[in-house]
Amino acid sequence: MGASTKPRLSGMQLQVLALYRGFLRAARMKSPEERSRIEALVSQEFRRNSSQVDRKNYLYIEYLVRRGKKQLDQLKSPETVGLASLNVEASQAKTS
Amino acid sequence: MASVSANFVCSRTSVRLLNQMMTSKSLRLATVGWGRTPGFPRLTSSRFQISCAAKKETVDKVCEIVRKQLALPADKEITPQTTFTDLGADSLDTVEIVMGLEEEFDITVQEDNQDNISCIQEAADLIEQLVASKS
Repeated sequence: MGASTKPRLSGMQLQVLALYRGFLRAARMKSPEERSRIEALVSQEFRRNSSQVDRKNYLYIEYLVRRGKKQLDQLKSPETVGLASLNVEASQAKTS
Repeated sequence: MASVSANFVCSRTSVRLLNQMMTSKSLRLATVGWGRTPGFPRLTSSRFQISCAAKKETVDKVCEIVRKQLALPADKEITPQTTFTDLGADSLDTVEIVMGLEEEFDITVQEDNQDNISCIQEAADLIEQLVASKS
């Protein structure tokens, strides 16, 4: 590759990182235990998506970024005190 | 197919000479993006500056925070030139590290600066600059 030591991040990657940063900044403003919970959740979610979602799937990534922005706006509001998530695993029914 | 790679080597000798001449200037090395962004170097932030090495304790604190964030084993060696990717950090980890540094030094790193930080020395230099401009 080139001589630059900086990674060549695409516009979309920069958006995702900016969103992640926004979440971490918003988490600071909540209570300490809530903050660690938010950070754990957000980091888990972002990492899972980064490994599972195909990086060429621009449409889905844009959708996730949009959804993330809305969630971040909600989180920033002072009335919101926490973040929680629900994991639903779809079990495949075996048909014989 | 012949390929040419040009390496940026920050020659410390010339920096030292300049340091002797200009004692208290805090300057910053420019990494002018070669071909990364098409067009001209940005005129908004004048980046043609030379860096004097950040203070040792700043670098040590940065190393400390990096170790904690990435949960590195104690025997893993960190030099100021180590890039975060060498240590197995991805870009999300880098964001976390920068946030940790913001908190530790009570500074706010701007968006466009965040993307430039790739090794420990750069982080320490940026921190020094921000702390100096804040006080």
